[in-house]
Amino acid sequence: MSIMEYNGGAIIAMKGKGCVAIAADRRFGVQALTLGTDFQKVFPATDKIYFGLAGLATDVQTLSEKFRMKVDMYHLREEREITPKTFAHMVSSTLYEKRFGGYFCFPTIAGLDAKNEPYICNMDGIGCITTPNDFVVSGTAENQLYGMCEALWEPDLEPEDLFETISQALMNGVDRDAISGWGGIVHVITPEGVITRTLKGRMD
Amino acid sequence: MDHFPGNWGNPRSRDDTYLESNDYLPGSIAQDHPRIRAEKTMSGFSCDEYISNPSHMPRAHTQQPVVTGTSVIGIRFKGGVMLAADNLASYGSLARFRDVERLLKVGDYTVVGASGDISDLQYIQHMLVNLETKEKYLDDGHSLGPKNVFEYMSRVMYGRRTKVNPLWNSLVIAGVKNNESFLGFVDLQGTSYQSSTIATGFGGHLAIPILRKAVDQIGEENMTEEQAKKIIEDCMRVLYYRDARSLNKFQRATITASGVTITDPYSLETDWSFAEKIRGYGA
Amino acid sequence: MGGNIEHRFSPYTDNGGTTLAIAGEDFCVVAGDTRQSEGYLINARYSPKVYHLKNNAVLATGGMHADGVALVKRIGQNLDWYVHKHEKQMSAPALAQMLSTILYSKRFFPYYVWNTLGGLDENGKGCVFSYDPVGNFEKQHWSCSGSAGHLIQPFLDNQIGHKHQSNVEHHLLPLDQVLKIVKDAFNGATERDIYTGDFVEIFIITKDGVTVQKHDLKKD
Repeated sequence: MSIMEYNGGAIIAMKGKGCVAIAADRRFGVQALTLGTDFQKVFPATDKIYFGLAGLATDVQTLSEKFRMKVDMYHLREEREITPKTFAHMVSSTLYEKRFGGYFCFPTIAGLDAKNEPYICNMDGIGCITTPNDFVVSGTAENQLYGMCEALWEPDLEPEDLFETISQALMNGVDRDAISGWGGIVHVITPEGVITRTLKGRMD
Repeated sequence: MDHFPGNWGNPRSRDDTYLESNDYLPGSIAQDHPRIRAEKTMSGFSCDEYISNPSHMPRAHTQQPVVTGTSVIGIRFKGGVMLAADNLASYGSLARFRDVERLLKVGDYTVVGASGDISDLQYIQHMLVNLETKEKYLDDGHSLGPKNVFEYMSRVMYGRRTKVNPLWNSLVIAGVKNNESFLGFVDLQGTSYQSSTIATGFGGHLAIPILRKAVDQIGEENMTEEQAKKIIEDCMRVLYYRDARSLNKFQRATITASGVTITDPYSLETDWSFAEKIRGYGA
Repeated sequence: MGGNIEHRFSPYTDNGGTTLAIAGEDFCVVAGDTRQSEGYLINARYSPKVYHLKNNAVLATGGMHADGVALVKRIGQNLDWYVHKHEKQMSAPALAQMLSTILYSKRFFPYYVWNTLGGLDENGKGCVFSYDPVGNFEKQHWSCSGSAGHLIQPFLDNQIGHKHQSNVEHHLLPLDQVLKIVKDAFNGATERDIYTGDFVEIFIITKDGVTVQKHDLKKD
């Protein structure tokens, strides 16, 4: 079995009108055995950037700490906030440093840049970035999430509509994946602030 | 599975964990094969006895093709269908037989083109001749059309694959009957389909893009026989340039309401000056 | 140079494609795309894999095309024999059981086909049955399978089954809404699945018979 499917998980990010959303499930498990239902897979980088890590749980935690350190060091050295694009390339370089024998994580990044323009991207385990205009998905429920997002997403969603869209995509998607789900969490990033909500889901 | 008829006949690339490569070559003796050696030791048979008594040998199914033909291509145009296949039968990378006809006329309305194993092609030819004869003897006013031949061949091919003893070919069946043109495909796994453009083997990669572009631009219902001929010849030229198991000597079959015509083998003008511009191809 | 080229014969191939079926109050919708692929090649853009059977049930087959054709031929014969024996058409639920038996009869050399059967039951209600290649089957309200089955299934759960829509009245959808959802499902699947595309053929089964619609999908 693939190491990317050892712990399970699902992450989505979507663009809206002047806002972005990022959502993830909350399960921590080892193959089919569920061990925790409050596992954090989405982390804040700055007030306006969140990143999600799908894949091997130990690497999720290692990388989240590594990125926290790097963002703090950037802040101290540069005396300014990192932008989503710069952050994405920092993540990409960090992964590519370990090109041969790397981390088993596929990062997803969502944020607003200095002009509050939405930015989303995701990448593979060695840092190859994609920046589509609509949505990105990753994790073991990737196929289900692609199907949901292709059907539900539309351009220029307002924050509340974006929240509903990403939540429906996540919850229905993870219900058709045996190793994702057990509740979810959604962050909608707007210029005014971040709306964070946890979602109840099926616990089976 | 490998779907390139061009690869099928390469005796050097055989799975040699299953059989030694010299087991299968005509005139070779299988005594060095580990299984035969082991059984010989156990039973006290001499190798010659063993070989001469076929009940000890595994039942011979076609596990891989030997002498092969490469692509067959076909296109539908207004009022007809056109097929082409070259005259080469390869033995691995050896261009062994250079005057093999791979387009078979069946009945008054149909042409079957075959790539893959040539001996299986000849067996199919034998079957179809028999079928034609039996159909004629019935004298019931019915004659085989392309749809009948297609259905027959798809059942034969699927039946043989189900016995895990396939006829190692990709067949293109084309014809016109009652002013209805037909172009269909069947392969060794029984996979079948009909389409306005069909190509087997390397043709699937090199000819299909050319054929489909032509049909998209001109339209099947606007394409004349002359246009179809030019498109088919362009495809055969490209295949000759890039398919190492091809030959610049081929036949072209045209089937319209007025009947079947299969050309004598002929060649195309080629221009290799393009090769100079491709690194590793020309000088 | 590359390694050895595989020459041993495999009797199986996967021709891709996606199918779905949705049961309504007094109708059933069965749909499938019409692309036939093999690896990265598109064999044909219109090679239907959804079959209207003589008893007005509709069978959607995905997986290996040749096995699907052989299976449908066999079912067709059995349906004819049934009519000769019993002087009536086989009901869809009876066909559902028979299909399972046929599939299991080839348990050790299976038909490499994922079937979805749609029809009307004895009471005229829509019914859907979905199968694995060896005859395991289940009656469902909606189902999809094939190369984009993973993509479409949660969408149907959401839109047909109203899953995670706590404030919405749960009811069986009318035909026009079901058709819109089917088209959305296939358009979405076509974006992301290379084995789905070209056309979608939608069969609508009612007490008056079966009608077919054909719609364009992207051809890339």
